[in-house]
Amino acid sequence: MGKAVKIALAGEGGQGVQSVAMILTEAAAMEGKEILYIPNFGVEQRGGVSIAFVQIGEEKIGAPKFKTGDIVIALSDRAVRRMDMHVGPQTVFIYDTSIKGVEDDLPQNARRILAIPALETANKELHPRVFNILIMGAVIGATHVVSLDKAKEAIEKKLGYKFEKNPKLREMNFKALERGYEMVAGKGVA
Amino acid sequence: MGEKPIRGEQKTFMTGNEAVAWAALAAGAEIMYGYPITPQNEIMQYWTRLAPKYEKRFLQTEDELSAGFTTVGGVLAGRRAFTATAGPGNVLMQEPMSMAEAMRIPTVVIVQQRGGPSTATVIYSQQEVTLTCFGGNGEGLRVVYSTSSHQELFDYTIKAFNTAWKYRFPTFVLADGYQAKMRESLVIYDPQEKGIAMVPTEAYVGKAGAPGEDRAPAHLRNTYNIEEELVEVLEESIKEYDQMAPQITEYEEFNTENADVLLIAHGIVFRSVAMAARELTAEGLKVGYFRPITLRPFPQEELRRAAAKAKRLLVVESAYGQLLKLVKENLYGMDVPIETYLRPGVGITPEEVVTRAKTILGEEE
Repeated sequence: MGKAVKIALAGEGGQGVQSVAMILTEAAAMEGKEILYIPNFGVEQRGGVSIAFVQIGEEKIGAPKFKTGDIVIALSDRAVRRMDMHVGPQTVFIYDTSIKGVEDDLPQNARRILAIPALETANKELHPRVFNILIMGAVIGATHVVSLDKAKEAIEKKLGYKFEKNPKLREMNFKALERGYEMVAGKGVA
Repeated sequence: MGEKPIRGEQKTFMTGNEAVAWAALAAGAEIMYGYPITPQNEIMQYWTRLAPKYEKRFLQTEDELSAGFTTVGGVLAGRRAFTATAGPGNVLMQEPMSMAEAMRIPTVVIVQQRGGPSTATVIYSQQEVTLTCFGGNGEGLRVVYSTSSHQELFDYTIKAFNTAWKYRFPTFVLADGYQAKMRESLVIYDPQEKGIAMVPTEAYVGKAGAPGEDRAPAHLRNTYNIEEELVEVLEESIKEYDQMAPQITEYEEFNTENADVLLIAHGIVFRSVAMAARELTAEGLKVGYFRPITLRPFPQEELRRAAAKAKRLLVVESAYGQLLKLVKENLYGMDVPIETYLRPGVGITPEEVVTRAKTILGEEE
């Protein structure tokens, strides 16, 4: 079996999990890694839990979807419940501290469960709009699948046109990336 | 003709639909006809984005019947033309493709399978195997390539145009919603730079000179008055199809010598099967695989050779027995036991294949 890192990101439509996956996989592509990224998609354009299945490794990736992830991130209460099926004994399960009422729904068999104050940090210290970039930082902190520098390059590539108009946005996005990274890196999950 | 869309080899990271659009462009396709349906929409979307830059054309029709017939029309006019569809669209596509079979029109169709029957899911399946291989009121005189990666989607889309135009049978690239929507890396290239010559196209109608005097008349028929006329034409087509078959059948195999279990799969499911076979082999178990790349014509001799060396077979597919039907038909008369793992309309992970194979191996002890 390939040693690809398996990441599953789940959230509500609009929380930006697919953008996170896009930028993260672009960064990995720039590093010459092998990647397979597949979004779940259905007839409902809005209202469902949006999931991004991402695998990043050094060798060609095998099957597109996987049963259990190495890192599973859930950003809403519904996402917490939905992602239970993708959690196994090797999974680090990360969710946002602001999600209420899921205490009894957290996965029972995860290797590790980590609650991070991503939403609160984005709202209070940064800007709600950079919440997804903060999550991307957390994914990198948990997996080290790409370097922070390469991630910044990919963000620049994707959002550079916005930064031109408002350079403060760049600073805020990079800050969000680093804050997210710090929330998870060094916590012994990678 | 405008400039070449791709120079040198370029490692890219894109969706399968995008890879198809690039491949069609690289193959020198001149026009796409199409009607939107998930999960193939982005083939049209990328094509319409790329087409104007390279003086290519696009026509959106009112439905898939029309998309298929206009593709036939484009080919009759000598254009390297193609279309793409899925699910219920593929059902409608069968009437024009039946005509393409009857008149030996080298159409190219990309199919991104979705769940069935009917509208079902827009997501994924391998349930359009029978339809794509044998749809229409005919004998299935067509070529079907089943791809399993973006690299293959690119390679076989280019190849489909050449197979179609060389042998004049409608040719299909059969993929699925996963391949359509996922992103992975592949190398795109210009076929000529790689030594792949594109088979020249030729108009079926409107040729120069007086018919019957300067040249043979273009006698294109899909209607016959008497039975004997029809059978004569069909027998000729069937003969040519059978002669072509050994030249174009493709397959892949691994560890087929004395396998306790020989896994059989096609398309994206093959990837899970290949991973499972390698993992089980690493554990010291005798597990191999056989993967048909052409589903039509089917690599019959090669499968029979591999199956003859196996203790039993395990057919794995995201359908309820469509590949299985092909396998059984091509193994007719052999007594190797066939086990199955059939999951219509859902993806299959390597873990599931490993578990199923181990169960079978366990039962065998």
